[in-house]
Amino acid sequence: MQIIKSVFINEIFKISKKKKITAALIFSMLSVIIAAIVEYSLNNFAGIRVTGNSEFSILILTILIYSLLPLFTTFICVDMFAGEFADHTIKFTLTGPASRAKVFLGKILAIATFIICNLIVVMIFSIVASLFLNSNLPNFFKILVSYFMAFLPIFIFALAAVLISNITRGPTSAFMLSIFVFLVFIGLNLVFPQIRSFLFTSFFDWFRLILGNYINYSKILRIFLILLGYGIMFCAAGYYLFEKKDI
Amino acid sequence: MDKAIVIENLSKMYKNNRGIQEINLEINKGEIFGFLGPNGAGKTTTMKVMVGLMKADKGDVKINGFSIINNYEKAMNEVGCIIENVNPFPYLTAYENMQLCGRFKKEVNRIRIDECLEITRIIKYKNEKIKNYSLGMKQRLGIAMAILSNPKIIILDEPFNGLDVEGMVEMRELIICLSQKHKTTFFISSHLIHDIELTCDKVGILYNGKLVGVDSTHNILKNYSSLENYYLSEVDLNADY
Repeated sequence: MQIIKSVFINEIFKISKKKKITAALIFSMLSVIIAAIVEYSLNNFAGIRVTGNSEFSILILTILIYSLLPLFTTFICVDMFAGEFADHTIKFTLTGPASRAKVFLGKILAIATFIICNLIVVMIFSIVASLFLNSNLPNFFKILVSYFMAFLPIFIFALAAVLISNITRGPTSAFMLSIFVFLVFIGLNLVFPQIRSFLFTSFFDWFRLILGNYINYSKILRIFLILLGYGIMFCAAGYYLFEKKDI
Repeated sequence: MDKAIVIENLSKMYKNNRGIQEINLEINKGEIFGFLGPNGAGKTTTMKVMVGLMKADKGDVKINGFSIINNYEKAMNEVGCIIENVNPFPYLTAYENMQLCGRFKKEVNRIRIDECLEITRIIKYKNEKIKNYSLGMKQRLGIAMAILSNPKIIILDEPFNGLDVEGMVEMRELIICLSQKHKTTFFISSHLIHDIELTCDKVGILYNGKLVGVDSTHNILKNYSSLENYYLSEVDLNADY
């Protein structure tokens, strides 16, 4: 446990020192502010009411979960795997007294922490912005549960990016391929809606299932299990390649 | 005598049919072992397999009695190493890179980090980012990282690379000092045969992926005028086959 903790702290420390991570968090905040300004302008100058109080945070989440959140997550995954293999800094981590399984686990936990931080930043800013936009208090519970649920599909996508990072030889190809896979899955979802239940990207907005008056728990459970299945497959395949890789 | 490193039937072949074949070697605790061989002989491959960066096709390496395959964490617990080039994280400072290294050991603290940076004479650059470091400075940092946790075994691949003459002398003195004071075992590969002769107690010669000779420096110098002559004679002898 102590070794996993050391690997995890090291990975978090490295993430915190990367400028692109700071930039990612700033962009996330900026996107919320820009969306709030647009909403305010439409509401007050064009007379168009886009969302209510709780819905602003949910709207932001729906937009970011298909755009910036997967993009920033890909950055971090590619940097932590393909990037470190390409510049050979991975040697430093792998020659320490931690087995590859623990190194892999420590890195995955650090990625999960980054996703959680990114979601928290977006949630806090979107709630604050929604308070400025409307005088009524939003439904904090629904917002919290929605952001909590949003973590899972982003994390599954992160595991897919980790798998791709362990297949490709360089960070650029890993990044391009991850984005390509994401776009292809989104495209398939739109073109062939009959196969959408097999594509994990079609569940990115699964938090919408808890927003209505009637909550379909069996559907939530089914989607959760599908996402879990994808997660196990991506994680196992990513770890297998990471373990076998010669440096 | 207690064995620090035992290499048993170690083989690793690449797709181009180069690599290492059936290497058997034993290094006693406290010894300074010099690993010599021409470019492409398989020195770095052997060292990469020893520290788990590569998987062997056959054979095993035991460090302090623990198999690198079955008991990696225990085997590497008391090992410090530099393999090929030193590649610290370029966006971190030397001190931060040392912190990453020291986080695995409770006994490593700020004082110990400063001590190691002082020994390798880069203490005044400790807050500079690695991307501004020269090759020699990176090498010194790599050595500081390798000795940080006072490991019982230190594996160094071309440790004199990029060092100036003063740095090489300091490095030699450091290796001998650690070996004598703390009984640290060293496994060193180098092209600089003179440095190996001055530093190592035992020398192994790797040629075409095979270990063609292992002897103590004392014995070698009794029979040959220099280590260079021994090396050339072993290489010539095996080149005929």
